Amino acid sequence: MSDKDVEGAPREPAWRADFPIRWALDHYVTRRELAKFLTLGSALLAAGNAVIAAVGKWRRAPPLPEVTIAGAAAIPIGGSALFRYPTEADPCIVVRGQDGALRAFSQVCTHLSCAVVHRAEKDELFCPCHHGHFSANDGRPIAGPPIRRLPVIRLTQRGDQVIAIGKEV
Amino acid sequence: MEARDQGTTLMTAICSFIVILLIIQIWLVSAALEALLSGDRGVLVPAAIASAIMFAINGGLLWHALRFDRRMRRTAE
Repeated sequence: MSDKDVEGAPREPAWRADFPIRWALDHYVTRRELAKFLTLGSALLAAGNAVIAAVGKWRRAPPLPEVTIAGAAAIPIGGSALFRYPTEADPCIVVRGQDGALRAFSQVCTHLSCAVVHRAEKDELFCPCHHGHFSANDGRPIAGPPIRRLPVIRLTQRGDQVIAIGKEV
Repeated sequence: MEARDQGTTLMTAICSFIVILLIIQIWLVSAALEALLSGDRGVLVPAAIASAIMFAINGGLLWHALRFDRRMRRTAE
């Protein structure tokens, strides 16, 4: 049998009567449908962002523990000491500035997470990996690739003991 | 340019614009999630507002395109 009828047009195969679905047409998506689908995705993303904002607003972080860092006399002017806060996986550094005040920061560089070191002569915290410089007074970036400040560890002093009591991101 | 061609161009432009805004929204969600997990909560509300504005723009564009489409169909009839 020929696939063409008498007028030359392609003839439907016999199974077409039992399976009339045309995949090409069935899978065809118009731009209108695509735009509707994309706008639905946009709505879902906006809702997701709203949920994240709501979670951030209503969920309170658990209070951080109080951890004794060192004796105050153990850190001289221009000196520094390392400790871990709030967990053993969070390295931090406490420095005593030229004004005698103790200030503590996360030791993790906000650029690519290398450990910063204290440079007393320049009163700064320095990241040797990519030469990032942070102020030892408030932890803000002053030179190099980092653009976010180092998280600040809140300190208090009881007697001779220096105690970490919180963290400000 | 014929109205039908105008409609095709309009729909393509609107789809492209919606895709661009959608990509920015995806980035906003990932940035907001990262900020939430790192405790930096100050950016969450602005991110949600920006995302809502982008959704409103997308919705407006879609509404405009569908309205244009309906008008074209009515004219063709």
